[in-house]
Parts: sequence; structure tokens; C-alpha cells
Amino acid sequence: MSLTRRDVLIAGSAGFAGVALFSPPSARANDEALDLVEQLIGRKATMSDRLHLIMPADFPTGYTVPMSLYIDSPMTEADHVRQMRVFAPRNPLIEVASFHFVPQRSLPRVSTRIRLAKPQHVVAVAEMNDGVLLMTTTWVRVATDGCA
Amino acid sequence: MTTPTPRVIVPSAAAKGEIFQVKTIISHEMETGLRHDDQGNVIPRKIINKFVCRYNETVVFSVDLHEAISANPFFEFSLRATESGRLDFVWEEDGGAVYTLSHQFTVG
Repeated sequence: MSLTRRDVLIAGSAGFAGVALFSPPSARANDEALDLVEQLIGRKATMSDRLHLIMPADFPTGYTVPMSLYIDSPMTEADHVRQMRVFAPRNPLIEVASFHFVPQRSLPRVSTRIRLAKPQHVVAVAEMNDGVLLMTTTWVRVATDGCA
Repeated sequence: MTTPTPRVIVPSAAAKGEIFQVKTIISHEMETGLRHDDQGNVIPRKIINKFVCRYNETVVFSVDLHEAISANPFFEFSLRATESGRLDFVWEEDGGAVYTLSHQFTVG
């Protein structure tokens, strides 16, 4: 399906960007993601706008979907991110990767390519040095199953 | 199956304290263990499950990879130039095989 300008205008007038045409209500998606993270990690995470998961909203193949992940962090001994994990809840195997960073030595950002089986909210969780879990989600629509 | 071949793009020098970018890729099918062959048998999982970057023996960045990382795993990340020496890149495959690359790095 291709978006026409009219679609975008109609979606815009409803108060959403074009991407909202495809996505379920994000409040519900966030609740589901928060529950999922609590099940997987055993602790509660909080949604945070410090964490950025950049992916295309619409991508033709599920085999190689570009993904960039970063967090605003000074990366000092006293305040840094230990690891960032990515989950694809609608994949047959939902764990995607864990990225480990080192204060003073690496910046808390990474890019890679991932497989998605179907359109879904991809979830990223950052574990800070004090144990706090921050998370964010991004809606990605893929046209083909990248896990088949 | 092709032999996995790792490649790295990284500068050979940087100023002290400077941030530099590293791009790594290894040719690898990343067989997920979810697929079946023509006879209906499961094709066993064989993926790169770990990537580690060491800077003069200190781990400065690493990744635990699962099945959802695409074939030919690619990572782009950023490090701080602290001192001259060696960068080591290690990819670990299911079954224990290890693929490595090293890179001399000068901090001026």
C-alpha cells in the first residue's frame, strides 16, 4: 500500500502522522511492551524519551530492517548505560540482541540490521548503572516475513 | 556454506579523546534453526552469537546476537581514542568457531 498525499492529510487532520494509519493505539502498545519487559527481565521499566530506537515505519522486506539505537547519557563512571536490549515481540523468537557499553570508552549508540516476521512494535530497553530500566518502542511495518 | 569472512572499517589514527566510528561486518548466513529443508527436517541453528571489540585487551563494546540479527551481521559503533595500540574484533559462532581481525591504531 502506498500513502497518497490525501491519506496523509486525512490522517493529519485526525491528529496523527501518516504512520498512525497502520499502528494500533500506542497507549495499549506501550502497556503491552511494559508487561513484556517485566516478564522477560523481572523488573519494571519506565518509558523514556532519552532512549531512541530509529527504524523505518514501513519497509519492503523483513530480512534486513535497518535499526539505530542510542541513549542520551554522559557515560561517566557515576552515570552510564550498561546495556541496551532489543526485542521483537511478534517474532517467533523475540530476543534480537543485547549491546554492552563501557563508560569513558564507548558511546551508547549502535546501528545494525534485524529480521522482523511481521508488522510490530519493536521494543528497546536500556539498563542504567543504577539498575533503572528505561524503554521505548517503535512501530515498524514490514511487507514480507524475514524469519521464514 | 561459504566461509565467514570478517571485515572492519576503522581509521588508523585519531587525536587523544576523539570519538571514532567503527563499522564491522562478517559474511554469515545466520541460520536461525526455524527453517526446514526439502525433506521437512529442521535446518539446525548456526549463528554468530557473540561479537566483542577489545582495545588493548579491554572490552570496550560487545553484542549478544540472537536469531533476529540479519544475515551478514553488521554493526556500526563509536569508541573514544585513549591510547595507541591494538583493536581486536572477535566473532563467536555456534559450535565454538571463532573469527578474528586485528587493527593497529595510533593516537597522536
